Amino acid sequence: MTCTWGSRETLTTNFSLYYWYENRSPVVECKHYLQDQGVSVGCRFNQSEIVQFQPFRVRVNASLDGKTLEIPSERMELQDLVKPEAPVNLTIHNLSSNQLQLTWSSPYPKAQCLEHAVKYKSNKDTTWTEHKVKGEIFSFPSVDYEKYYTFYVRSKINSYCGSTQLWSEWSVPVVWGNNATSEGTAEEQLHWFWIHTVLIPITSCLLLLVLVILLVRMERVWVIFMPRIPNPSKNFDELFITHKGNFQEWTGVPKDVVESFKPNYNESVCYVSELPPKESYEPFWGSTDQLLAVPGASAGTREHGPHKNSYVGA
Amino acid sequence: MFHAFFRSIFWVLPLFLVLPPVNSSSCAMGNRTTEIRVKYENILSPDINELVNMSAEYRDRCCKNKKHENAKVFFCNDTQEIESLQSMACNMLKFFNKQKISKDFRWKAAIVSCGTLQVLQCKCERNRKEKVCTEVNTHNKEDTETGEHSKKKCNQEFCELKENISSLRSCWNKFAKIISR
Repeated sequence: MTCTWGSRETLTTNFSLYYWYENRSPVVECKHYLQDQGVSVGCRFNQSEIVQFQPFRVRVNASLDGKTLEIPSERMELQDLVKPEAPVNLTIHNLSSNQLQLTWSSPYPKAQCLEHAVKYKSNKDTTWTEHKVKGEIFSFPSVDYEKYYTFYVRSKINSYCGSTQLWSEWSVPVVWGNNATSEGTAEEQLHWFWIHTVLIPITSCLLLLVLVILLVRMERVWVIFMPRIPNPSKNFDELFITHKGNFQEWTGVPKDVVESFKPNYNESVCYVSELPPKESYEPFWGSTDQLLAVPGASAGTREHGPHKNSYVGA
Repeated sequence: MFHAFFRSIFWVLPLFLVLPPVNSSSCAMGNRTTEIRVKYENILSPDINELVNMSAEYRDRCCKNKKHENAKVFFCNDTQEIESLQSMACNMLKFFNKQKISKDFRWKAAIVSCGTLQVLQCKCERNRKEKVCTEVNTHNKEDTETGEHSKKKCNQEFCELKENISSLRSCWNKFAKIISR
């Protein structure tokens, strides 16, 4: 049993340890200190100095500047602080009807106070499965011969002989499965690994590169993917540059045709208004220069018809 | 001659040599190792663990460095584990009527004590076992206290009961290790 209180880096002073079993033994100083570069960092107890099932107490004294500081511990039950060694000699037995049996042994001559835990996983599983076992036999009910299994076992003092949560380290593993399958699987996995991780990405990149080069170099192919936007400006260069915007000259329209469109006469404006559909004749108001008298019309002001005067000109 | 007559008839001195006062165990152990182990593992051990957990929940700051007069009761003597368990269980029964201790706690302690004495088939002096265990086995505990009120203040009797429980659990661990061979 070892009792430690720090390391060379964390300790600034020297410590001494005293221990006793309540109502059983006097206070005794540690006989075998653990040293780290000249500093006491712990105490090692021999088997003769260990008494289980008796309350155990420890006091650590620190010496600093001539003063002694006492640091007592809580009452301890040593059977609750046992961390067993890992099981050994893991062996797998083939039983009938797809059943496996895992056995192991403990490094201790009397292992009745131990309980065990088995964890296993196949090559197809992603997580471990763990089972608690009281004895030293674990039965695996249905095994798949296509898979490859790995088993680990560890131990702990059971609740009848102590109260501890200290498990041992996991044992050396034992494996089961078809050797050829496992090797072939490994080779296949390596093969697929190289294909998926190296070959396919490189091939894809090269193909992409070739396509890009082709697209850039071969305009005929590029035009298919990126057709040009029509630009009619070149067609009108002659109009704006040579003929300076003279559309008629650019189109080649003969001069006499151009002249024919120009007007060579004047027409006066003729105002036109709508006559009301009544029997009485009203003066027809045309331009201010002309006033047509209509029979039956009386002198004086007349109301305008409901319609506005309309203007007709040419 | 008269003295010689009585001495020869009653053999007082030889009787003293032949019949020394012996502390005989009042437990019927017999060849019941397997039965005891099975009952301890399946019935008593869960109750002991539950009692220890209850004990850990109660405040015990006043219990540090207390030395009890009856300290030898808490010994689990080598080769005398059964007698030690009997002594611890009988001692624990005396706390059943201590009103300063939470009712839940002392009721559970009595259950564990009675269970220990029953498994080991032991008796206690002054019929303490019969008085307490009959009441524990026949009457249901009345829940007159809530969880908070049941955690009473730390006192000397409480400290002694806690130590008694710890010693009883350790002694059972030791005995279980022996009988599990």
